[in-house]
Amino acid sequence: MTLNRRTFLATGAAATAVVGTPMILKAQPAEYVLGASLPLTGPFATAGQLVAPAFALAQKMFNDEGGIAGTPIRFVTEDSGYVPQSTLANYQRVLATEGKACVGYFADSTGAMKLIAPELKGENARLMGSTSFASELANPQTNPYQYISGPTYQDQFDILMQNIKAAGGSKIAIIYSNTEFGRDPLEHGRATAERLGLEIVLEEATKPQGADIPTHVTKLAQSGAEHCILQGYVTGVWPQLIGGARQFGLPIQFHGTFWGMEKLIADRITKEAGPFLAGYQGVMPYRYFYDRENAPRYEQYAALSKAMFAGTPLENYMSTWALQAMCGLELAMKALRDTAEAGKELTADNVAESLSGISDWDSGGFFGGPVSMNNNKIGTGRVYEYAPDTGLFTPVSDWLST
Amino acid sequence: MINGNLKATYGADERVLNNRNKQMFVFGSIILLALFPLFADDYSVLMACKMGILLIAVVGVNVLTGYTGLVSLGHGAFVAIGAYSTVIFSNLFSGLPTGILPFIVVPMAIAVSALTGIIVGLPSLRVKGLYLAVATLAASFIVKFLIEQDLFAPWTGGIVGIDTPVPSLLGWELDNKREMYVLITALALGTMLAAQNLFRTRVGRAFIAIRDRDYSAEILGISLLRYKLMSFAISAGYCGLSGALGAYFFARILPEQFGLDLSLELVAALIVGGMGRTLGPLFGVVVVMLVPELIKISMAAATGGSLELARYTGPVQEIVFGLLLVFFLLKEPLGINQITDRILRSANRWPFARG
Repeated sequence: MTLNRRTFLATGAAATAVVGTPMILKAQPAEYVLGASLPLTGPFATAGQLVAPAFALAQKMFNDEGGIAGTPIRFVTEDSGYVPQSTLANYQRVLATEGKACVGYFADSTGAMKLIAPELKGENARLMGSTSFASELANPQTNPYQYISGPTYQDQFDILMQNIKAAGGSKIAIIYSNTEFGRDPLEHGRATAERLGLEIVLEEATKPQGADIPTHVTKLAQSGAEHCILQGYVTGVWPQLIGGARQFGLPIQFHGTFWGMEKLIADRITKEAGPFLAGYQGVMPYRYFYDRENAPRYEQYAALSKAMFAGTPLENYMSTWALQAMCGLELAMKALRDTAEAGKELTADNVAESLSGISDWDSGGFFGGPVSMNNNKIGTGRVYEYAPDTGLFTPVSDWLST
Repeated sequence: MINGNLKATYGADERVLNNRNKQMFVFGSIILLALFPLFADDYSVLMACKMGILLIAVVGVNVLTGYTGLVSLGHGAFVAIGAYSTVIFSNLFSGLPTGILPFIVVPMAIAVSALTGIIVGLPSLRVKGLYLAVATLAASFIVKFLIEQDLFAPWTGGIVGIDTPVPSLLGWELDNKREMYVLITALALGTMLAAQNLFRTRVGRAFIAIRDRDYSAEILGISLLRYKLMSFAISAGYCGLSGALGAYFFARILPEQFGLDLSLELVAALIVGGMGRTLGPLFGVVVVMLVPELIKISMAAATGGSLELARYTGPVQEIVFGLLLVFFLLKEPLGINQITDRILRSANRWPFARG
């Protein structure tokens, strides 16, 4: 056989296929790793401790479903103490120990997301979700690999204000913690209020913990506000502010955003201090765990929780904080699976492309209906109201989108 | 005393590394540090850089606390000033060639930190001990408070933090961690050597005299005003350099990185390592930064990375680290430097008594 150009190329291609295929197979890891940093110690340890078990549940569930295109996944969770630099170190360690097998990461604060964002380039880039709803992160141009598993705080303010307007409200107060978290939606909130014809009669900053409640309540009373939005709190301050206002005899309607909407906290406050949270409303991106009608994914979580956490408080209830983490993981897994099914390598660019292409996704219960990723976020939510006698948050609005 | 070292000249006696064991220890360490980035992974390089940055600040605290005897719980503020000044001056002078910018910006950041150090140090003329610690504590809160204010946000980024520039040294862009490692390690070694030499000068000896008994020092003719403030300035300058390197190393700086925790970490590292000793800060930084990571890695290995146990391992790590610190302080109240001293001394005297 004479070796002309055509046969040379054909032989070369065949040889590459034979020699190269095992290399491609070899390049695929035996398991994929998703890292996570959680605040298991420090100021938000309460939240971290409630979220941590969700990762065990998620690992079992996703692997029972076949992992990512048949390859099992493994979560590596570590404590950050809510220190952004520790989260960065944890991220680097997972990259160093797991290499390309690590295909995603879950960070535990806005600060950590911002600190890590500039590091996400080249070989160090991975898809990254977090506990954060910071508006600044919802920008695929500047943060192509980071996403928000719900609406931003700005979106949440929009939803609340739309609801206040629909209820005939006109004068609102905004009380916020003097943190990045508290200040995030302020400017946007002012613009939305103006657009909707709402008057902001008070903007009051407080300490994130141990705030001077009587002073803030007095200012609130003087402002003449009908509605008050509380932003930037997790376990403390917001219940005390509402309690202080009720003691003062103020009939103001209070509203909160995601991190101030946990049933466990509201129940504990009711048990310790009485039913003063009656009528407290707030925006929630997801359905509560007890609202499982037509929510097959929640039913799956419930069955697994019963089996895995029997005898603990987690057996029957998954906190909103854990649901947020689960939603983030569901989105990451969808993007990873979509990428694998499309026959593409699980690089950060490919996975981020799949993530931004998520459209009309049936989440199985998290949201009111199919949702889409828009600017690396899902801008939808619903207003819920707390009833101390039942200990439940129940919806008082339809699903609102921004 | 038998020490096995013949000193034939005054020069030989005055050397920093005045015996073979010390030379072997220091030069061996430098060779290891030089080879380190060739085989270390990104995570190890990250940790080494973080340790180098913290080390420079702890050397600064050592000047003030270890050598001059003035306690400060506000040195995190000087690190913050160094970091933010670097970013602010880099943005202000962005018109200048990038290759020379760090040579202008970093000395300016050090100068601003040093000046702030003088202001914060003023109470040291009237109060000392715990009272001074409380007085300096205010610096930590005031500086962080100012950085977070909306008024200064155009320069500092406010509460959301600010992106930092990539340093370029005469055209050499230090845009990855390994390159930054070279700069940080060189400066960390340089600052330690400078601190060591400082205490062989008139100024350093004045600091030590103030530490040992301030009014005796004053009677001997040492101006307390001048030398206490000088100590604050030098110490804050070191922290400013540490902050500047931190700003270059991390892609973004946030006010929460410079809270009271940082000030306490600096003091803790110094106490654990050994106050008033050149290598004290080095050992302290190794313990404060490396031990928690090693505990974390060991715990993960011991539990097999169990997700069910993850919620318990975090708090247990903190407890183990706390207990370890207490153990170190009980076992060696003068710091780890004392242990290495003993080892080097016995090596020097071998085969004679360990002493």
